[in-house]
Amino acid sequence: MTKHIEAISRRQALMLAAGAGAALAAPGIARAQSFPERPVTLLVPFATGGYNDRLARAMAPFLQKQLGQPVTVMNRPGGGTVLGNTFYMQQPDDGYMMMVHSAGPYIPLSILTRNARYKAEDFHMINLPSRDLTLAASATSKGINSIDEVVTRLKADPRSLSIGVQPASADLINMALFMQAHGIDRSKVRVVTYDGGGPARTATAGGHVDVGFVGGEGFLPIKDRIKPLLMFSDEKSTDYPDVPLLTDHARAAGFQPQSVDGSQRGFVVLKRFVEAQPERYRILLQAVERATKDPECVSTLANQQLATTWYGPEASNRAYLASAALMAQYADLLKQA
Amino acid sequence: MIDFPAFGSAVAMLAGSPSAWIWVVPGLLIGLVFGALPGISVSMAMALVLPASLYMDFLPAIIFLTSVYTGAGFGGSIPAVLINIPGTSSAVATTFDGYPMARKGQHSEALGAALFASCIGVLISYIVLFVLVQPLAEIVLRIGPYEMAAIGIWGLVLLGSIGGSSVAKGLFAAAIGVLCGTVGMNTAGYMRGDMGISWLLDGVPTIPAMVGLLAASQLFALVNAKFIVEAEEHRTISLRRILDGGVMVLRHPVTLLRGTAIGIFVGAVPGIGSSIANLISYGETRRASKDPDSFGKGNPEGVIAAESANSSSEGGSMATMLALGIPGGGATAILLAAFAMHNVIGGPRFMEQNRDIVYAIILSNFAQAFVLLLVGGAFVFVASTIVRLPLRYLIPSVLVMSTMGAFAIEGSIAGPLTLLVFAVLGWLMSRYGFPVAAVVVGLLLGKLIETEMLRAWQLAGGDAMYVFEHPVAVGIIVVMFVSLGLSVRRDLRRRAALKAQAVVVSAD
Repeated sequence: MTKHIEAISRRQALMLAAGAGAALAAPGIARAQSFPERPVTLLVPFATGGYNDRLARAMAPFLQKQLGQPVTVMNRPGGGTVLGNTFYMQQPDDGYMMMVHSAGPYIPLSILTRNARYKAEDFHMINLPSRDLTLAASATSKGINSIDEVVTRLKADPRSLSIGVQPASADLINMALFMQAHGIDRSKVRVVTYDGGGPARTATAGGHVDVGFVGGEGFLPIKDRIKPLLMFSDEKSTDYPDVPLLTDHARAAGFQPQSVDGSQRGFVVLKRFVEAQPERYRILLQAVERATKDPECVSTLANQQLATTWYGPEASNRAYLASAALMAQYADLLKQA
Repeated sequence: MIDFPAFGSAVAMLAGSPSAWIWVVPGLLIGLVFGALPGISVSMAMALVLPASLYMDFLPAIIFLTSVYTGAGFGGSIPAVLINIPGTSSAVATTFDGYPMARKGQHSEALGAALFASCIGVLISYIVLFVLVQPLAEIVLRIGPYEMAAIGIWGLVLLGSIGGSSVAKGLFAAAIGVLCGTVGMNTAGYMRGDMGISWLLDGVPTIPAMVGLLAASQLFALVNAKFIVEAEEHRTISLRRILDGGVMVLRHPVTLLRGTAIGIFVGAVPGIGSSIANLISYGETRRASKDPDSFGKGNPEGVIAAESANSSSEGGSMATMLALGIPGGGATAILLAAFAMHNVIGGPRFMEQNRDIVYAIILSNFAQAFVLLLVGGAFVFVASTIVRLPLRYLIPSVLVMSTMGAFAIEGSIAGPLTLLVFAVLGWLMSRYGFPVAAVVVGLLLGKLIETEMLRAWQLAGGDAMYVFEHPVAVGIIVVMFVSLGLSVRRDLRRRAALKAQAVVVSAD
């Protein structure tokens, strides 16, 4: 999937270069449209302090510079983003509110596991700069040295190791697909569920469970306490350069690698709004793009370990919908933890 | 374990930077006010000021946030004592004896005891943090589902039937609390009892429910009273009596130290935190007391136990956050976010490389404990004027404030609705003699016990014998049974002695 994004982002870049002339004329149009004429809100469907909240707050001053209006952050946590998403669906299509969201996996997951009443296609991605990938890891004190050791032990006796994972998560799908590929009976494995990445990581680092399958980024502060075993990705991670990748592991083991991104985070609006207000959407899109590419923004966010890659709406929507489809395909895996 | 050169540079850092000091008093005051407002929790108070801290340097920002933390930790006890509504979920046990004290006219003593217990608790917890941060964090990281479930069960056993006219009614009330506490998605991803209402996906909003239960049960009981304190001559606001409360704390060093120890340890465990520490310390003090019946009727020891534990939780959870980079609860999660916003990644590396900054934060918190004594004293002095307010003004104001707080914490009408539903439940229960406090205890502990028991079961793969691989958990349960057995035996003996006495008296 990464390869897709890479390829498209290159094409996207060309398209953008072609459209540069139009972009230069944009501030004039913005003024003529007099949008936005009041403050713009970034809605974060999580509590203060998480990745999305930090991303929104860090981007706000740079967006403000582009939009010429104050940009404020509003948190509306709860129900695995169902409450925030529902609230957002109820807002008028005037472009005064954008979401900063872990759209993948939260939107599809909330539909599949929490019976939310919206559809994955109701949302439109402006840009999803951040991806977090599932990492299989074990506490250093456990003395587990490689993923092959884990596979061998689980194949011999599925009850020999306990696994920590979040229910209804991309991590669970990845874990389930991994077990399936190796012919390990998941119903016999001792799977321990944690309602949040934080508790799952604490349980992994503390050795409460033998192996944890959870987003790798959150492990960075306690990197020294864990032995990373496998990254569910096809591309080397800058955070964990020496960790084996699923693609290589699968090739060696002779199966087709399949995985979903742990989190795809960034700027989200409603498809309804894009269709109803194409002009305003264009202004917002441009503002997000310019803010994302602003060198000052890039360096400020890099210091806070926040991503500023520009993939653009086309690539972002494709990645989001692809992972939503994959999740729908494996929905039955999600229902049994 | 103390790195003296780093300590020296921490002192220099604090001495040479007035900006590190100017935010202490505003921080404490903000914490006190938000903590005292029913419905605004410690972490919410910190979340509200988090954006402001972005514009400060790193050290002043962290000191400012920890001041808010310290202030809010104590602020919750003020409405708990004066109107029986805990300002935060960490002050629930403070209401058990604080409010009866206030009704007897000892509001100044109760608040004084709460203040001194809090300040000393904060101070000791940071001293422990200063000396033992690494070992404490290592122990805490090992606390898994078995141990946590054991701690939760201990709390429920100690407090399950609190305050009722009969044990059966107490257990019934606690069961209702547990039932309400387990609404929503459980840790394995199954939905229970949400009745299709999306607001219940994360469970019953705890704080509005708690405020509704406690407020309703008490405010209706006040219907014929004109003032919280009946006797006019007791409606005084006196600094001397606040200090008397402080003296009470010093007269009960064992209670204070036990509460502080429980607070530091329980507060340090990620996912448990100060509200559970507050309950367990109260329950343990009541159990250990020679006169358990005096609790719930205005025993200052109850206030001391409750307040020392919730305040010392701060040092405990700071240890987990600084040494491991793991937030133990909402407040330390916000501190970690503040770290990140200043381009600092919290965790073991930060501790190793910036020992001087860590020491500066700890030293500043020593100072905060002393400043809290002054600022908190003044705040309490002003706040206790509400005992002079006629109830016909006070009750409606409290109801309006609670409703607004419930709205603020949920950000929607779901908060006030929860408050209303639980107020009706609280009123019904107290009318028929069911202890409302036990519902609150069940509400707070039910989710914890259920979650951890479920994980323990998953970890064991259904094998009940697996529990013996967790000696600490077994130890906690054994100690619990032994101590319960001892108190039951003591009660029986005392009852027998009383009966014998009664026989002697009647024989005369």
